[in-house]
Amino acid sequence: MKYTTFNQHTVNALLEPMFFGHPVNVARYDQQRHSIFEKLIEKQISFFWRPEEVDVSKDRVDFQQLSDSEKHIFISNLKYQTLLDSVQGRSPNIAFLPIISLPELETWVETWSFFETIHSRSYTHILRNLFTDPSEVFDDIVVNEEIKVRASDISKYYDDLIFATQLWQTQGEGIHQAYGETHVINMRELKKKLYLCMCSVNALEAIRFYVSFACTFAFAERKLMEGNSKIIRLIARDENLHLTSTQHILNLWADGKDDPEMAEIAIECREQSTAIFLQAVEQEKQWATYLFQHGSMIGLNKDILCQYVEFIANHRMRAIGLEAPFAITDNPLPWMNTYLNSDTVQVAPQESEISSYLVGQIDSEVSSDEFDDFDL
Amino acid sequence: MTDNSDSYMITVIGHGEFEQQDRTLLQSIERQQIDVHYHCREGFCGACRTRIKKGSVTYLTEPLAYINDDEILPCCCRANSDIEIELD
Repeated sequence: MKYTTFNQHTVNALLEPMFFGHPVNVARYDQQRHSIFEKLIEKQISFFWRPEEVDVSKDRVDFQQLSDSEKHIFISNLKYQTLLDSVQGRSPNIAFLPIISLPELETWVETWSFFETIHSRSYTHILRNLFTDPSEVFDDIVVNEEIKVRASDISKYYDDLIFATQLWQTQGEGIHQAYGETHVINMRELKKKLYLCMCSVNALEAIRFYVSFACTFAFAERKLMEGNSKIIRLIARDENLHLTSTQHILNLWADGKDDPEMAEIAIECREQSTAIFLQAVEQEKQWATYLFQHGSMIGLNKDILCQYVEFIANHRMRAIGLEAPFAITDNPLPWMNTYLNSDTVQVAPQESEISSYLVGQIDSEVSSDEFDDFDL
Repeated sequence: MTDNSDSYMITVIGHGEFEQQDRTLLQSIERQQIDVHYHCREGFCGACRTRIKKGSVTYLTEPLAYINDDEILPCCCRANSDIEIELD
């Protein structure tokens, strides 16, 4: 089906599935098929922040005092975070917007992606403070083998869905030749690609990001690189919300509350979905080996980080109805909870959009006795 | 919505029974020194997702995280009857 930016046919969005229905026409939010996405948009916007608001200048001094192995951990971690947000800043828009059929979901994806771009800009803010010229760090992201392995796994499912969607929207269902390869395009295959892509996005935001957060907060536990940690706390709060959104999408499908065909696909692809998570866990463990190759740091080493990956994976997999595959039950990094608690993300009330602070500032109720002592 | 005088018994399977005392169920559980997983404490991340076996709860803020019919988010609710819950 050809994509149109404004579908001129009357469509009842309350009857559309999240994906692969009719293209969205009117961006209206007075009625919603899945009201959760409208609530997520409101919450996400209330989190608005700018990297420049966080003072990272003290980090430069801290950084100079880190050992070489700690510098390697810190910078590699930042490179990885930069990669993750580079992908997330564009991919949900490109992959999902052309096939979304609900206005509230469309706007959620746009809001979500926009916040990822704030994250990307904050890495530049952090690195500019640490180095006069951060090019060396950025340039390494596309040549570093350890990062490249992750990049190709992360982008694979997105790229696959995007390409299949492009073929479908330009040539329709059928068997198509492109770049010397044969591609079978039908709705079932497209939906499968979408399902696997959503699983991969969930694994990225629910597991991969948390490994990187653990590394950042391990420095903050030692009162080091605290400006950086403040920024990453704001990022972590956003990511918490994003992973909630993909958990909702996956569960709405699995519970048969959206497209019935997606409920079948969820069952059919259960093994592949589990494999995506296990592969992410394996890669994060390999990453931990790379991070700590020159030595550990106080409070964090390869083994603890690997245990944390398993712990968090258990939680995330259970949340979308998969079996928890690992034996670990206790959180090996209990201090992570404190950093991920949104109450402790410090912001001034006038800067943060705390709902109680903004809503009801203007008293719109005027009763007649307000005029009692008013004479003409 | 919140009546702080309500005192209901909370049973955490494997950790015993205690009285609800705090603003949220999560705080009541923490007071017992029971290790419970949490992140946002505002109902949007789902980290404290817990199975409820008996009884029911009232939400202080509407949960945004996905929860099944037999699950609750202790960070943003309190018991409105005696309850039995199971931590992961």
